[in-house]
Amino acid sequence: MISQYAGISPKGDLQLLQRLTKVLGGRSFLHVNSTREGGGVAEILQRMVPILQGLGINARWEVINGDEQFFEMTKKVHNALQGNKETITDAMWQHHFEINRQNAANIDLDADAVIIHDPQPGPLVEFRKKGVWIWRCHIDISNPFKDVYKALGRYALQYDAIIFSVARFARAMNIDEFIIPPSIDPLSEKNRELSDDEINETAKRLGIPIDRPIILQVSRFDRFKDPLGVIKSYRMVKRYNDCILVLAGSPATDDPEGAAVLSEVKEFAANDPDIHILLLPPFSDRDINALQRMAFVVLQKSLKEGFGLTVAEAMWKGRPVIGGAVGGIPLQIVHGVTGFLVHSIEGTAFRIRQLLNAPEMAGGMGKRAREFVRKNFLITRQIRDYLSVWYIMENKGKSTIEF
Amino acid sequence: MGNIMEGFEFKQCISILKSTGKKAGNLNALRDCIAQVSDDCIFHHTYQYFLKEHILEYTNDFAHWAGESLEERSLAEQLSNIDPYEYDNIGDLRKELLSVIGNYIESFPEPREAMPRDEFFFNETITLIFPIGIRVKNLAEFLMAIKFVDVGSIYYHFYEARMRVGNGIDDFSKWIEESLQKKELAGRIRAIDPFMHNIEDIRRHITEQIEMELRRDIQVMGVEE
Repeated sequence: MISQYAGISPKGDLQLLQRLTKVLGGRSFLHVNSTREGGGVAEILQRMVPILQGLGINARWEVINGDEQFFEMTKKVHNALQGNKETITDAMWQHHFEINRQNAANIDLDADAVIIHDPQPGPLVEFRKKGVWIWRCHIDISNPFKDVYKALGRYALQYDAIIFSVARFARAMNIDEFIIPPSIDPLSEKNRELSDDEINETAKRLGIPIDRPIILQVSRFDRFKDPLGVIKSYRMVKRYNDCILVLAGSPATDDPEGAAVLSEVKEFAANDPDIHILLLPPFSDRDINALQRMAFVVLQKSLKEGFGLTVAEAMWKGRPVIGGAVGGIPLQIVHGVTGFLVHSIEGTAFRIRQLLNAPEMAGGMGKRAREFVRKNFLITRQIRDYLSVWYIMENKGKSTIEF
Repeated sequence: MGNIMEGFEFKQCISILKSTGKKAGNLNALRDCIAQVSDDCIFHHTYQYFLKEHILEYTNDFAHWAGESLEERSLAEQLSNIDPYEYDNIGDLRKELLSVIGNYIESFPEPREAMPRDEFFFNETITLIFPIGIRVKNLAEFLMAIKFVDVGSIYYHFYEARMRVGNGIDDFSKWIEESLQKKELAGRIRAIDPFMHNIEDIRRHITEQIEMELRRDIQVMGVEE
């Protein structure tokens, strides 16, 4: 399976993967999270676990079960870790622990390395048997609500190491903290190469004209993604350059505000025939892929963002991306080199116009963007990093390891 | 071809990033942290800056932060002018960083605070080194290899080697001098300033030097002395 990535992923990454599997091959590697589908963690595990198995690692992926009360509480924990003030009672923490205790009885936790994703299954560490235990925190905990952070900390500190996506998300803790950014899979339905026929068929089916340059933003209908700001930028551009705006998103079941934001966006678009608002069903990966490939410029004009992997997705398709300078976006966009970072609606409009008027610059930027993603944000790099951390934890105290 | 030449084995390094958990929000805190953090941390923010392929205005992470986040352009320029390859060890480099920041603070004692979440985050790395399966025996084979190896391999042999081998000597010129007995060519490669180029530039400069040498070798080949 890994051979499919030869010629796509950097050769050095694949070679280090081979070296690591020579020393870790045949050993067990368990991932645990709280959902089989939906969300970035599940998306990457669906692709990663078969690759690990193909490399000869005895990899497993287990999902914990919980009731409504449990997931309501963990949603609060998530929000509190991002800085919201939330009240979580002792009884709620007790229930959190109890659900994990029940899951620990049903899941085989016996593995040489275990990665527990996010806070929901955090207490499983109380039931560790052997091996290296790592907590993979996908959340920005740089400025958490203290009470909740402290309560969760009693579990976090029982792990051997923690992995964060961005250095800024980490904080001083008396434990090894590694920084591993997330990744995209170049062979998945969302990112694989598409033929012109496939792209044109999608455009036709979704009613998108391809006779003029397309400006695209793919995101949930969420105020933090600033869809109204995107429309304002488009209107500023439209006075000078004829173009099409596509806002594409899926309804998020866990986001009650989504419907309200969508209707605001529709109202604000005011029946402009060149604004296309697409509410795509979940798992519209191929359509998103085609939209990104037909776009001339891709926007991710977020006001607040986690890592913002949609940026890497569009960059991988060789598109110049204009992104808000928030969350993980500045790690993906090197301003002026692999895209543009913006701080305002006016800045977004200016950069769109700049790219529309200089297709050669847009092309060069897109090319560098794809190469930047190839070197830094592909799934093979993330697997390489996970196995490296496992091996490093088994060889603690060395700052250099030679194979 | 009387003497047996030792081949050159290309290796590569990949660094796994670790957070130290330390951060600085202004110049005083930056200075205090630089005084305390590990050598690995200083190494990462200075020498490993050259692993970045898009070097824009700065030459190390401290200068980048001073310029971009604190908008202390003059300090950023002074820090950018510190060439880590001039120092024999991290301790001396650390002293120079502290001296430049200390002098600047004395002249401009009003500390400017970085925006929240835009502080300087101190990291370090654990480096994994592995052979990449390419061993060359002569200059022509070396030329083919240097053109196509990953940038991580050039970084390991040209940049990282200077700290490992010492005296500003890289692995490539060392092999060319010791095994190929080409002292002049080794000198020309050693003269390429690591501080002034990104890795792709280094690849291009080395390739040019090797091609020039091979062209010369071919011109004299078969000509009786």
